[in-house]
Amino acid sequence: MNTANLSCSTDEKLKSMFPRIVFVWVLCVPVLLFAQEKKIKGTVLDDMGHPLPGINVTVKGKHQGAVTDSAGSFGILAAKGDVLRFSSVNYEGDEQTIGDGSTYLMALHSKVRTISDVVVVGYGVQRKKDLTGALTSISTKDFKDQPITSVSQILQGRSAGVQVTSNAGAPGGNVSVRIRGNNSIKGDNNPLYVIDGFVGADYSTLNPADIESMEVLKDASATAIYGSRGANGVVLITTKRGKPGQLQVDFSPRFSSSRVIKKLDLLNAADFAETANANAAATGTSPIFTPDQIAQFRKTGGTNWQDEIFRTAPTQEYQLGISGGTDKTSFYISGNYLDQQGVIINSYLKRYAFRSNLQSQLTDKLSLHLNVSAARLQSCNTTGNLGRFSPVTQAIAWSPTLPVYDAKGNYTLNDPISSITYNPVAIAKDQSMRNDNTAANLMLGLRYEFIPGLSLDVSGGVNYTNAQGRNYTGPAVSQNLPSASRSSLEGIALQSTNNLTYTHLFGTDHRLTLMGVFEVQSFTSNGFNASGNNLTYPSMEAYNLALAATYGVGTTYSNYSLYSYLGRVNYSFKDKYLLTASLRRDGSSKFQGNNQYSVFPSAGVAWRLSEEPFIKALHKFDNLKIRAGYGVTGNQAINPYQTLTTYSNVTTAFTTGTVTPGILLGNPGNPNLKWETTRQADIGVDADFLQNRLSVSADYYVKNTNNLLLSVAVPAYAGGGSVLSNVGKVQNKGIELTVSGTPVMTKDFKWTSSFNFAVLNNTVKQLVQGQDTLFTGSNVGSGLSTQSEFVLIPGQRMGSYWGLTYLGTWKPKDAADAAKFGAQPGDARYQDLDGNNIINGADYHVIGNGLPKYSWGWNNSFTYKGLTLNIFLQSLSGFDKLDYTYAAGITANSDVRQATIADIRNRYIPGVNETSDIPAFSKTNKNYTLSTRFLENGSFIRFKNIGLSYELPKSLLHRPGITVSLSGTNLITITKYKGFDPETNSVTSGAGADVNQGIDYGSYPNAKTVTLGFNFKF
Amino acid sequence: MKYFAIISLLSALTFSSCNKTLQEDPNGQLTGAGAVNSIPGLQAAVLGAYQPLKNGYTSGFASSAIVAVLMGSEDLTTHPASNKQELREMDQFAVNATNSRINVIWLGCYKAIQNANNVIANYTKVSGDPAVINPLAGEAYFIRAFSYYWLVRLWGNIPLITTADYSADVYNVKKSTPQDVYKLIESDLQQAEKMLSNTKAAPGRANAGAAKALLADVYLTEGGWPIKDASKYALAAAKAKEVIDNKGAYGFDLVPDLAQLWSGTPASIGTPEEVFAFQFCASCGNGNSVYGKSSMPSDEGGWDDYFTEINFYNNFPAGKRKDVTFYTSFKTSAGVINWQNGITKHPYYNKFRINTPTPGYLTSSTNMSTPIIRYAHVLLIFAEAQARAGAPSTDAYAAINKVRARAGLPDLANLSATDFANEVVQERSWEFAGEYTRWFDLQRLELVESANANKDASDLPPLRPISKASYWLPIPYGDAQLNPGIK
Repeated sequence: MNTANLSCSTDEKLKSMFPRIVFVWVLCVPVLLFAQEKKIKGTVLDDMGHPLPGINVTVKGKHQGAVTDSAGSFGILAAKGDVLRFSSVNYEGDEQTIGDGSTYLMALHSKVRTISDVVVVGYGVQRKKDLTGALTSISTKDFKDQPITSVSQILQGRSAGVQVTSNAGAPGGNVSVRIRGNNSIKGDNNPLYVIDGFVGADYSTLNPADIESMEVLKDASATAIYGSRGANGVVLITTKRGKPGQLQVDFSPRFSSSRVIKKLDLLNAADFAETANANAAATGTSPIFTPDQIAQFRKTGGTNWQDEIFRTAPTQEYQLGISGGTDKTSFYISGNYLDQQGVIINSYLKRYAFRSNLQSQLTDKLSLHLNVSAARLQSCNTTGNLGRFSPVTQAIAWSPTLPVYDAKGNYTLNDPISSITYNPVAIAKDQSMRNDNTAANLMLGLRYEFIPGLSLDVSGGVNYTNAQGRNYTGPAVSQNLPSASRSSLEGIALQSTNNLTYTHLFGTDHRLTLMGVFEVQSFTSNGFNASGNNLTYPSMEAYNLALAATYGVGTTYSNYSLYSYLGRVNYSFKDKYLLTASLRRDGSSKFQGNNQYSVFPSAGVAWRLSEEPFIKALHKFDNLKIRAGYGVTGNQAINPYQTLTTYSNVTTAFTTGTVTPGILLGNPGNPNLKWETTRQADIGVDADFLQNRLSVSADYYVKNTNNLLLSVAVPAYAGGGSVLSNVGKVQNKGIELTVSGTPVMTKDFKWTSSFNFAVLNNTVKQLVQGQDTLFTGSNVGSGLSTQSEFVLIPGQRMGSYWGLTYLGTWKPKDAADAAKFGAQPGDARYQDLDGNNIINGADYHVIGNGLPKYSWGWNNSFTYKGLTLNIFLQSLSGFDKLDYTYAAGITANSDVRQATIADIRNRYIPGVNETSDIPAFSKTNKNYTLSTRFLENGSFIRFKNIGLSYELPKSLLHRPGITVSLSGTNLITITKYKGFDPETNSVTSGAGADVNQGIDYGSYPNAKTVTLGFNFKF
Repeated sequence: MKYFAIISLLSALTFSSCNKTLQEDPNGQLTGAGAVNSIPGLQAAVLGAYQPLKNGYTSGFASSAIVAVLMGSEDLTTHPASNKQELREMDQFAVNATNSRINVIWLGCYKAIQNANNVIANYTKVSGDPAVINPLAGEAYFIRAFSYYWLVRLWGNIPLITTADYSADVYNVKKSTPQDVYKLIESDLQQAEKMLSNTKAAPGRANAGAAKALLADVYLTEGGWPIKDASKYALAAAKAKEVIDNKGAYGFDLVPDLAQLWSGTPASIGTPEEVFAFQFCASCGNGNSVYGKSSMPSDEGGWDDYFTEINFYNNFPAGKRKDVTFYTSFKTSAGVINWQNGITKHPYYNKFRINTPTPGYLTSSTNMSTPIIRYAHVLLIFAEAQARAGAPSTDAYAAINKVRARAGLPDLANLSATDFANEVVQERSWEFAGEYTRWFDLQRLELVESANANKDASDLPPLRPISKASYWLPIPYGDAQLNPGIK
């Protein structure tokens, strides 16, 4: 152990100077002084120079004790000649004899299990062994072997109970992250992200290479400290910091190539033409194609629209990180450039990111940290274009008999045979939705340490976002009425946090940490947009809107604020019995009157059985802990102004060629809105065996959400729309299991493996008084389905599909029964629940569920000398997909007039194939897309990563260190799902989006990617 | 310690901000009655109230939903296969409550009613020149009556809502009888005709003449099923006569040339024949998709949404009107073909094609106006009502003969009252072929069964026996789920 004597300043003045002014709201601080002893101050660091919090410091032979705080500092009373003991989990500790000095810098070497022993919790840090809540900690080493381009990829499959779904495969596309399911139907179910203390940060602009660690707080005893925003779990992200010592430069270029995960089996032009003619013959209309035309298609093959819109897309990324520092000041600077092309033509994302993290010990009491980050994301066609307007949907809908371009080289504008909307290539290329988003975040923190153990942290943060949109819709996708628009949205979020923390070890047995925080946040956004329709010069796109026949303009403003008071107590007795209790009071401007403020308490207890002699005697456990926690959290993730009835602006024409603005009553406001509250109980067990080579952690939880915020539909006859109300209850309960370990460890070969598994069950407990069904869908399949696809029914799970049971086709032996329904053999047959021989609304019922029930992830690393093989699997199962993409391609619906999916060849054909359950072409057949016919098992197992990396032997090169890696992402997917990708979803935003999962209607499919990466360390 | 002082100061600053109350600052949001307490606000609310009636495919009469709900008549049918399942349901008298087209009309009417209710409830509180305020209120009464008139004819028993305010009671509303609904429609239109000015503020807005013409139509309908109050015929005739006598003041007249009326070019928009018409602006995102592709054969790249039944076409008297009404030779890539050789083997409407910038222009978002009431309607309402109220007068003959003359048909003379009335009904079917009239005539005169009895073999047959229950549509599934009491 190195012990260095730094600046000496015995702080005698402190007691008298202790301020009595501002902080009357914090607990009084007992300061114990003994005459013959002197105050010793010190800082404990690991061998990398990181401060080590949570290290026990005791004076041998005396009942004196202290514990290091988050800066690694401690203070203790000791006399010259006393011996200080430093100890940590599974560590017997080093000792240090007190000499003449009073300030010590202790460096504990790597034989101590150091940094992993401490985890970031809300508003502080805690020793892992002291945790009473359910928490998953993910650090850089867990994902260093994988080509990560976004933060959500880090969370995917790595924490039991955290479901990450890539809803859209577009670069930077929508990803849903759900911790222990969905509590809310209307409200947001995204976890709360806290980046370096900034609460409610946007992770999408964060460069994942800057992440040092992520902590996922799952149960209420951990999340209740975030009160009204804690119900969905909390993800704490800590970015990298500089390390004292030598300057380190890290440079990592990466190059990838992506392709769409799968293509559908569609009819070729000749088969399509024959099928269309067969349809005409069966329904008494004239043939659409002549035999000559069909022969011609047979020769030329026609157009494969999927090949026209999908491509092999390259991605390149360059990451540069520089870090270093002295004992007092250190820095981390990084820059990142990402150019990710999408697998659909004309879609991409470019990211430029910069970060500078600086921390400095200004004086022995005052330290400062300043984190500045900025990012710019430029995207094109990565959002929007859903459902019928997606190039994917249209690539399936358009007749393969048509060319992409006509004889003059212009887009084929019209499909007279099948689709009624635009050419898929034109959708992708003749329109663009460009977003240039800039985000800057500044976090300035000052920390003042009154005495070791008592510190005040004051931090202020600004998060600035600026989104510039440029949309263009060209003539080929606007019936020759090209239009363009510009939008600008500026958002400013301000945060001020004042945190007073006191940590003390009373005697050797009682360790107490008290914390009090006051926090204010405010959010303001200001936007405007302008559009020009019927552009005079379409080629100018959004750059010259003035040259348009008609215009539209709009402005928006929104503002809300949140005041919070919170406190927490951590107490541990003999490191065996642990207690955490917290209380937060939040006030939000989104509510009115008495509903503005609410209190969110929590408590957690844990018992470290492994510290008990009877367990120690077993010599089995390195660690054994049981935990229990309970807490209340809230959800206020609704838009401001919902308590008010507002009008919407509309424009409509009264004279041909122009529109006039008017106002229309919007959704009714609800002045009685209040917080949605979730009460969660959790019990868990953590155990480490075999010298920590095997760790097991298991949790069981029950979450009850009351005052559920729901958009209650207003009947169309009362104006339609919905009113946001606090109604209903839902329950989520589940089991989570994590097993990690090192099954094989020899001198040269090591296999580390981590497996997590979760079961999630949710139930709707209660709905609006007097209502036993509530529809939450927004008719996603507009053009395909005629109504809401999702329903809530007490006793059923959320995300239930509402539809008909498909019984296959009517067979010849049942012709008489078919006739009662106006059908004939070969027509679709549905279950007639009320037996009235009419298939209508009364025959609809719950037919399936779109929310995954089981999830697991399994990460493996095999290391042989410098060579590492990483295999990472992820799976979601126990859910159904409503495959609209397939439905659109095989049935005629309001957007598509002919079948294009190859399966149609296997349809029922009277006299030829009378066993098929694909209905025949017939005048009397009725296709309902909302039926079990299009419901498929969505379960899948996906090889998220298969990667090989090789670190060149150090002996070959003095420096730099070079690592080369080759990885494949999403290379293999095991699923029965017929669509492109079981993981993608069409509903990603809007009311109820979070429970309306499982519909795939032309979603942007995920890509499979091969990446070659390098890492150079100087 | 000076650092500590700085931190204390920073901290104190944030504390001082806590004195601010947590209040919402709804800049830019229009809320409550305050939005309609001034003349400009009232005007914005009136203009807004029209919007749901013509809001694209979402609500109202701007899409093929308008023909979908009327398919039970002989002037309309659809493709037997393709993507027309929902339209076929209407043609074959097997309408499912989940049919999305019915909800488009239902929602459009009720959303307009809600916003009209808001104006009606608030206009008396607006201070200002009554000459400005009253016509605005008159428009609101017109919009409400217009919307209820469509609803009561399509659905019969319906919720009668006269407030814009939301309360929990909306989930327990009971259905009102057609009698009650017609009572409100009549009183609204009587208010509207008094309050509205003679000239239209814009081609797409109602004037006093439009209110009177609509009232005349309402009276005529009340004379037949289901109200069957014969005393209304005289009122219908008198009201229509008022419009005819003051057509100059209202700016109404027949367009002399039918070819101009149905040119598919801007020449057909905003003509004096439009008593009440919806106006559109395709480039502004408020296009009319009833016209254009929807009405065209797929042989030419159209959608085959609606076209005529065979017998209706065959029985249509030859002449100028038949030529203007129908489109029978299709220009395909393989040359010109006759309708008998077309994909659906049916004649199509020429009336709803778009001929600008080029003939048969393929578009589904058009500028064409949709005339709901034409001046020809007024003439024929008068003629029929006059005959049913007593005997056809000279004026009644003059009225129908004006329409016949334009169509190239000889004048009528010397008919019994019954024959005359029947002639008018026949005339209406031809003059307004495809134009949201025939179905309602069949309904009020209880002719739905006979009109569907002898369909051509190639037309879609009714799937179930037609009864009076088939005269009305089922209440849309969504609302019936929310309030099972109205199922």
